[in-house]
Amino acid sequence: MATSAEYLQWQAEPKGDNALARITDNVVRVVETPRPPAAWYIALAISISWVGIFGAVVGYLFWEGVGIYGNMNPVAWGWPIVNFVFWVGIGHAGTLISAILFLFRQQWRTAINRAAEAMTIFAVICALLFPGIHIGRPWLPYWMLPIPNQMDLWPQFRSPLDWDIFAVSTYFTVSLMFWYMGLLPDLATIRDRATTTVRRLIYGMLAMGWRGSSRHWHRYERAYLILAALSTPLVLSVHSVVSFDFATAQLPGWHTTIFPPYFVAGAIFSGFAMVVTLLVPAREFFGLKRVIEIRHLENMNKIILATGTMVGYAYGMEFFIAWYSGSDYEVFTFFNRAFGPYAWAYWTMVSCNVIFPQLFWFKKIRTSLPAMMVICVLVNVGMWFERFVIICTSLSRDFLPAAWGYYIPTPFDFLTFLGSFGVFFTLFLLFCRYLPMVAVAEVKGVAASGDH
Amino acid sequence: MSSVKDKSTPPLYWRSLEERARDPELLERLRHEFADRDPGEPSSQDRRRFMQVMGASLAFGAATGCRWQEDKLMPFTRTPEGMVPGVPSYYNTAMELNGHSVGLRVKSYDGRPIKIEGNPLHKDSQGAASAIAQAAILELYDPDRSRTPMQVQGGQAAPTSLAEFKKFARKHFSEVMSQRGEGLRVLTTRTSSPSFKDMKARFGALFPLAKWMEYEPVSDVNARAGSVLAFGSVHRAHYAFDKAKVILSLDADFLGIEPNSVSHSRLFASTRVPESETMSRLYAVESALSITGCSADHRLPLRSELIKAFTAALDYQVSQRLAPPAGLGVAQPMPAAPFLADAEVKKFFDALVKDLVANAGSSVVVAGCSQPAEVHALVHRLNAVLGNVPNTVSYTQLDSTDTRTDEQLMQQLADEIKAGRVSTVLCLDTNPVYNAPGSADFKSLLAKVKTTVHIGRYFDETARLSSFHAPLCHFLETWSDGLSWDGGVTLVQPLIAPLHESICPLEFLASVIRDSETTSLGIVRRTHREVIRDDRTWRAAVHDGAIPGTEAKRVTPELRAFGVFGFAVNELGEMNVGNGKLEISLALDSHLHDGRFANNGWLMECPDPVTKLTWDNAVLVNPGTAKELGIQNGALVEVSVAERHITVPALLSPGQAKGSLRLALGYGRTSAGVVAGNINAAEDARADSVGVNAFALRGPGLWHFGSGATVKNSGKSFPLATTQDKHGIDPIGQKGTEDRLPLIVRETTFEKYKEEPDFAKHKVHHPPLLSLWEEPVQYDGHRWGMSVDLNKCTGCGACVIACQAENNIPVVGKDRVMMGREMQWMRIDRYFSGDSDTPKVSNQPVMCQQCEHAPCEQVCPVGATQHNHEGLNDMTYNRCIGTRYCSNNCPYKVRRFNYFNFHEDMKQERNQVKGMVFNPEVTVRSRGVMEKCTYCVQRINLVKIDARNNQRDLVDGEIQTACQQTCPTGAIVFGDLNDKSSHVAQLQGRPRSYALLEELNIRPRTQYLAQVRNPNPELG
Repeated sequence: MATSAEYLQWQAEPKGDNALARITDNVVRVVETPRPPAAWYIALAISISWVGIFGAVVGYLFWEGVGIYGNMNPVAWGWPIVNFVFWVGIGHAGTLISAILFLFRQQWRTAINRAAEAMTIFAVICALLFPGIHIGRPWLPYWMLPIPNQMDLWPQFRSPLDWDIFAVSTYFTVSLMFWYMGLLPDLATIRDRATTTVRRLIYGMLAMGWRGSSRHWHRYERAYLILAALSTPLVLSVHSVVSFDFATAQLPGWHTTIFPPYFVAGAIFSGFAMVVTLLVPAREFFGLKRVIEIRHLENMNKIILATGTMVGYAYGMEFFIAWYSGSDYEVFTFFNRAFGPYAWAYWTMVSCNVIFPQLFWFKKIRTSLPAMMVICVLVNVGMWFERFVIICTSLSRDFLPAAWGYYIPTPFDFLTFLGSFGVFFTLFLLFCRYLPMVAVAEVKGVAASGDH
Repeated sequence: MSSVKDKSTPPLYWRSLEERARDPELLERLRHEFADRDPGEPSSQDRRRFMQVMGASLAFGAATGCRWQEDKLMPFTRTPEGMVPGVPSYYNTAMELNGHSVGLRVKSYDGRPIKIEGNPLHKDSQGAASAIAQAAILELYDPDRSRTPMQVQGGQAAPTSLAEFKKFARKHFSEVMSQRGEGLRVLTTRTSSPSFKDMKARFGALFPLAKWMEYEPVSDVNARAGSVLAFGSVHRAHYAFDKAKVILSLDADFLGIEPNSVSHSRLFASTRVPESETMSRLYAVESALSITGCSADHRLPLRSELIKAFTAALDYQVSQRLAPPAGLGVAQPMPAAPFLADAEVKKFFDALVKDLVANAGSSVVVAGCSQPAEVHALVHRLNAVLGNVPNTVSYTQLDSTDTRTDEQLMQQLADEIKAGRVSTVLCLDTNPVYNAPGSADFKSLLAKVKTTVHIGRYFDETARLSSFHAPLCHFLETWSDGLSWDGGVTLVQPLIAPLHESICPLEFLASVIRDSETTSLGIVRRTHREVIRDDRTWRAAVHDGAIPGTEAKRVTPELRAFGVFGFAVNELGEMNVGNGKLEISLALDSHLHDGRFANNGWLMECPDPVTKLTWDNAVLVNPGTAKELGIQNGALVEVSVAERHITVPALLSPGQAKGSLRLALGYGRTSAGVVAGNINAAEDARADSVGVNAFALRGPGLWHFGSGATVKNSGKSFPLATTQDKHGIDPIGQKGTEDRLPLIVRETTFEKYKEEPDFAKHKVHHPPLLSLWEEPVQYDGHRWGMSVDLNKCTGCGACVIACQAENNIPVVGKDRVMMGREMQWMRIDRYFSGDSDTPKVSNQPVMCQQCEHAPCEQVCPVGATQHNHEGLNDMTYNRCIGTRYCSNNCPYKVRRFNYFNFHEDMKQERNQVKGMVFNPEVTVRSRGVMEKCTYCVQRINLVKIDARNNQRDLVDGEIQTACQQTCPTGAIVFGDLNDKSSHVAQLQGRPRSYALLEELNIRPRTQYLAQVRNPNPELG
């Protein structure tokens, strides 16, 4: 296992209960400190103003109609759905880290799993904002839910959009439970360390009576394992189902069997990139360098490299299959993607997703904070463009040339997307301030194992 | 015991002391029934008085409630006999445009006309109607229509009342009459109405010094003059395209903007059936690609100015070969024009001459309205030399002898005004300030006239500068008449009482001349009393919309020998000309006409059949010429002709002749309404002008077309809203289009078709199209289907308007069209093939294909689009939440989404009248729902309900979709595919029938009949 200078330094420091106490201190201090760093306030102010923008745009959308966005014929799905898929993709890292890496006994995950899970939940919340508001009558999205009613009207279960509803909501529920259950021991720790009544009461309620008894721990471990086992297929299913929105359609460029694995790989890719993007500054600001170490980030970067390469393979394979299928429409769609009016978007996607992550082959780059930060931001940009390319370029030129068009987003599209980042960062900043960013109990478990 | 009869005994019961005392005064009073009142008093209600008061009240009620009372147009407070609420009734009427009337049938719900179709009984219409005629219903309910008379005092227009206007008119015209009409000029549009003619004669008797001028910016006056040249009298040529084997159009868009195109289209299409033994061959020589040019088998793009020499050369060559009898005079000498030596032209010309000569007697040569009289005269001669008269060309004589051109007419009026000889101008339904030539500067001329009275449907450019304006009623609000193309009388009957305080033209004239007949019905009835004496026959004629047996007699006028025509230098030019010598032609817009329909949203948004441009006019330039001039698509260019300039966007138009520019008239209105532009209106109705006013370029040397135009690129660009090829097409898109076009629009030539009739079936090879599941529905009842004949479709766009009117489709505006959010349920895809100078054009109407395996249905999460047991793909608007997934998955992209509430403006009080046009059978869609073609499901159900009520079977052809109903060529056929004898089933069974994108295994119910062209083998 790779070790960094900081890790070595930490190795040299006192071990045993002292060290465990330090971990608690390190993490919980952020929650307990009366004043968070000024940067937190600035960041929160910006984020909340973006949330305000989001609210204003959505208010206007309810008033005026979904036409404020750039959607048109033939591109009936534009940025809102691009953003939805983008955010759902981001929401993949947390559960993967918590569940799959847990089942594979990847202990390094403990440093980052809490933050990653939180990020997952917030990203899914952001994702869920979009389908509701992008529909023509945004006050009626609940019609997609199977709610018993006097008219015996049911959703149309053949529609992949309905599968989405179930896939994403199941994923959200399980992720939320997983995350919250993992929080219980740490919330109890904060409750126990509370110096004010208010804090004791609030965290006390949140801790749901956790006392740390052996029976509690026993059940906790069992439940954690079961949830991990439940979540594991979900990680694979949710983005597979999202990809069905496209794969089951007959639009050239959408109608592709490679989509489920390709989307899952892309989702993990973007999710990990987002985790790195968030944790690099977070560990800096909240003094968590010793808990979230460079080697953890390096592991993340390795996964980014792997999934990025998979995504690159998928891009290439799409072209091959298009050619191999013998379908003129398919061939044209991919040719048009790479060299047509949206070529700029395609090549942005390819460079961000395939070319730049290849730099992670170099250890120097994958352990350099600024380098990984830049590359991971680029990966996020690239993954957003991937969805844009799939959705918008395919739609803009389908079968009948007379119906072709060119989609141009409106300022409201930009503002809504910005607003969703506002929602995401606001939730994440509040999380950093009020909840333990690192799974204290789990890190202790891993740290202690080395000494006993 | 006392007797009750004993009068002396006081009554047992009494009401008052006087009664008890039997006071004689009281007894006298009690004798009267209404004791308190004097019967002679005015307030008392004796029988006579009651009758008087009630009579007066009824008269008042009738007078204030309905001024048409005597015409029996009344609100349905008392239901007329036989009226069933909610069941539409149909009335035949007619619409006149450019001195030619077409029969229409109007559908009316509970006294509210909602849709215009062609009159099936009318010989020219036969149920079909042009886009313009159908859209007239929208004009009826246009909130921008003038609603009150306006009086201008001191430059300020103030609303006044109709009574005020009538008072003024009576006074003013009495004065003018006392001066025998001195200084009075009446300016109207050209009309064929016999009643109008009669009133004009009566007017002329009372105002002998007045002048009556009929002005049209584009009229058939050149044809009339040509006929005078050829025959010595005014004749109208009638072309039997259905009997023609070879047709030559010389700048004549006889399938498009030229008069009687509906009838011409039908006749022409009847010769385009490859299943029959022969097919006609159409040659078109024209400057701008027209609807006719699109349908042509061979098309030679030639500047309009060169067509005269081309025709002369044709005359020479054809006469050479056929050696016509001496009676037909001598042919023109072969003109020495360099362009005739051009290889392409020569090849075309030689083949054409050969083909014409070979088919002498069954060919047709047609010249366009814009071509000078000489060309028309030559065409008359050519038809005579070819022996086409009377087989394919026949004539009727027109009673008019006036061959003054509209240009001369306007010039004369301008001169007279300048000379101060005009004191009153009465503009009746005409707008000279807008449509007079720019050089005339009518605006300042009108200021010199003491009194200008304008009666028009809009408070338009002329109205603003008039001393008095009164609203004119719509043709659906009044009685009138007109002449069909063949001279038969059509009758115009009102469908609704005037919506606004407006005047009927005939009634106004009657009031001016103090006619004894004061109502338009009376006037029209009087005009035709000689032909129809009894009321029963009259009612039958009104019912049919025409007076039978009034068609003009077909004659064969004797051709006079005419001399050799001279040519101007530019008429004998080269194939190409440079900047400064460019030709510019100004033509009627395909939908807005000369601008009088500019404020009609349906027409404004209906894509031009060739350019697919909406909401603007643009100067059309040949792509090669544009390159020479340094112009790109959408570049703002300054076009100058003889010191007159306009700045207008350019549109590169394949098929436009080299060195020729084309600009549509009818745009750049400044006082039309919120659609076309109303820059001086009040806040709530203000709108910028749409397009550029091309009349500004008109003047000496440029009426229909002229040379010497200069184009200067301003370096700026202007966004144009086309519904196809938005943002231009890059090389990749171009190639992709070229690759797949043969699969989408399948076409062949007549010769190859005869060898391989099922060629269309072999264009795409795919594995057997099996179903993954057992079909849940067997469609054993009706199986609706449609067949669209690409060979018959001319792309005119009448179906698009029919669909819009039938299905309450909103107009969205230029910005949204530019985004791609137009709402028309059907579009006509226009594809070019071949090189950009002489492209071949294919038109393909595309609407929902009602797939049996509909991709849209499977992806809707709420099941708002479902299949019914007859195979229709139904939309449930109430259930739709607007995910738009269906649209994404539709390979034809025929679904339309309501991105906004497109009826929002109806909340304003002034716009509420717009709601009257809605078809009550069709839901008006709200914001946020998807919509699409339904095969006019409401029409299907209406007939089905009737059939079930009467316990009968449906008859094939009984159900017609709106697009089918109005298609003049019968290109669209709808019916039951389960009925093997139905027209649609037989058409779909034809070898050249194919389903678009069939290989996707979506099983569309609409099929296309492949296009079969009939090229001349010599031209390849």
